[in-house]
Amino acid sequence: MDKQFDFKQVGKRMPYTVPEGFFDEIEKNVMAEIKADKPKKKARTIKIAVRTMIAAAAAIALFLVVTKQQPKDATGSQDDFAYVELAYNNLSTEDQEYLQEIYEEDVFLYNNEESDF
Amino acid sequence: MVSDKDIIKAVREEPERGFRLLMASYREPVYWHIRRLVVSHADAQDAAQETFVRIFRNFSQYNEENSFKAWIFRIATNEALRLLGRQKGSLMLSLDDVTVDMLSRKTDENYEDGDEIAARLQQAILHLPAKQQLAFNMRYYDDMSYDEIAAAIGSSAASVKANYHYAKESIIKYMNNND
Repeated sequence: MDKQFDFKQVGKRMPYTVPEGFFDEIEKNVMAEIKADKPKKKARTIKIAVRTMIAAAAAIALFLVVTKQQPKDATGSQDDFAYVELAYNNLSTEDQEYLQEIYEEDVFLYNNEESDF
Repeated sequence: MVSDKDIIKAVREEPERGFRLLMASYREPVYWHIRRLVVSHADAQDAAQETFVRIFRNFSQYNEENSFKAWIFRIATNEALRLLGRQKGSLMLSLDDVTVDMLSRKTDENYEDGDEIAARLQQAILHLPAKQQLAFNMRYYDDMSYDEIAAAIGSSAASVKANYHYAKESIIKYMNNND
């Protein structure tokens, strides 16, 4: 009988390498970037309201652009995504940045595919 | 070794010192988790740095009722997916999209000479569907519980467990066939 692969033969060894001192460097880079920054305080109600209004305005702008650009016979989801991309590209830089900020700060946005996992 | 509880307390009381503690504990696990997904060192470095910046900026959103490690790995995983998505020219990449992209990234130039079996194991892992890769990597390399992995990837512990076992079987088959 052939010899079966045993995970103990490899353990947790990785075949990849990193440059010497890399982890100190990465820590230095991150600390330099955040030093001028401060962790966000919990948003106050008024701040949330303002942000919600801005987000709603950006979303409405995106919706209007999508609606305006989408041909009447477009029904496929792939097409829908292409139109959203197109609409996004046509937003002002400020609106794009704001949507991107909301999107990037939502760490739970990805991977919500529980049903097929 | 500093506990997660101590790290959280330190970040809240003295952000800079606390964050240094956090980085000392997590810089290597986070980097290697991302590297296993994106393969390239330069990409892993970018995504790991961005992960820590995001952790810092969004620290107030962390809920102490949940696993801190799972929260960090969730951000790191998202950052890896975001990077892969950007390279594909889209805003985001779903877990189902990732496998093909990862397979296109496997390249011998990233491998350390001489550890052929470890390289083959990574090839075997890269052949898995993305969800199995994540379940396997976090369980095997990072010793995370099924619950923690589930929290990190937005799934259930039962499905993570199933994916982990499928992954193990597939890897063994791959390794035996490519000996």
